Amino acid sequence: MTRKPYRAPQRWSWWLKNPAYRRYLLREATALPLFIYALVLVTGLYRYTQGQLAFTRWLEALQAPGWLVFHAVAVAACVLHAATWIELVPKLLVVPGISGRSIKRGHQVAALIGSALVLGAALVSWPLAGGAS
Amino acid sequence: MSDSIAIYVARYRPGQDEAPTEQRYDVPLSTDLSVLEALNYIKDELDPTLAYRWSCRMAICGSCGVMIDGEPRLGCKTFLREFADRGELHLRALDNFPVERDLIADVERFMDHLETVKPWTVHNSERPVSEGEYRQTPAELERYQQFSQCINCGLCYAACPQFGRDDSFLGPAALTLALRYNLDSRDDGSAGRMAALNADEGVWRCTFVGYCSEVCPKDVDPAQAVNRGKVASTINYGLNLLRLARGEHDT
Ligand code: SF4
Ligand code: FES
Repeated sequence: MTRKPYRAPQRWSWWLKNPAYRRYLLREATALPLFIYALVLVTGLYRYTQGQLAFTRWLEALQAPGWLVFHAVAVAACVLHAATWIELVPKLLVVPGISGRSIKRGHQVAALIGSALVLGAALVSWPLAGGAS
Repeated sequence: MSDSIAIYVARYRPGQDEAPTEQRYDVPLSTDLSVLEALNYIKDELDPTLAYRWSCRMAICGSCGVMIDGEPRLGCKTFLREFADRGELHLRALDNFPVERDLIADVERFMDHLETVKPWTVHNSERPVSEGEYRQTPAELERYQQFSQCINCGLCYAACPQFGRDDSFLGPAALTLALRYNLDSRDDGSAGRMAALNADEGVWRCTFVGYCSEVCPKDVDPAQAVNRGKVASTINYGLNLLRLARGEHDT
């Protein structure tokens, strides 16, 4: 008997079929808001080089509701990105004698402390640098 | 709980069907009946033309993998009681492989990939038998034991969208097997396997979807193995750069 294997093509919608794939794609999609956020920051730096007025205008423009929503989304994406990434760390970093769970916890604690330090430094230095004025 | 369950099987008869179509079978429900036993019931009592694979009935041989309600699972390790409330379940051949007939997937490609990584202990020089066996401490065994539990069922390939997109990707189980031997203290073949790991079809095709590890019936964690392969591949790349800078040949 001749063979006639059936090949199902991979459709564009493959990732909709399974919750595991949807979670994966959501994780990957977090890169988009982070990319846009990086662009926003770079724009800010550029405006800064153009003088105080340009920089203040840039800051004011970011007060628009659309940009506030965007920043909320970007923070959420950033947290999700970090959380899912740390979830995967024990698969990459295998240290004999230390459980994957401990490695994960260590990363979570380090990320929290690191973020708190950066945030603290920013909050302290902002008024010192003269705030938005 | 009703006393029967509807099993929809995607049937494909080459030469007769253009594409798989579902056929319904009603199977008496009992709490200890596995999906594989249900298929045996269908074949014995309802339809002798149904084609599917099985052998051990105890999650050892790796031949009974099918998509059960869209998830790659072993038929012998999945029980009908899980689907009793819904009263139905859907079966099709493993995703990402060509369908040979009904629930039988053509896993040839997977077998080829397994061979590519030289899944055996390679010795630089064979020791004469008189020198005794190659010994290993429990700690050395521990390093790779988890990865040696693979039963080659191919569920992880059915779970891998990268293999589905392009089946030249060596895929989860083959790359796991490469790591399994690379981590074996008795093996001298790591350098030889590096080429396969570093290649286009190797570890870097993996985008860490991670579903392979979720579906693996033996807790092998192929996603861990593949991604540790990326670490090994990166180190290998760095060492090669160093060798080239020193004017030596890379390996
Ligand atoms: S790694 Fe797990 S899912 Fe993949 S072939 Fe081996 S036993 Fe099956
Ligand atoms: S029949 Fe052997 S693994 Fe299921």
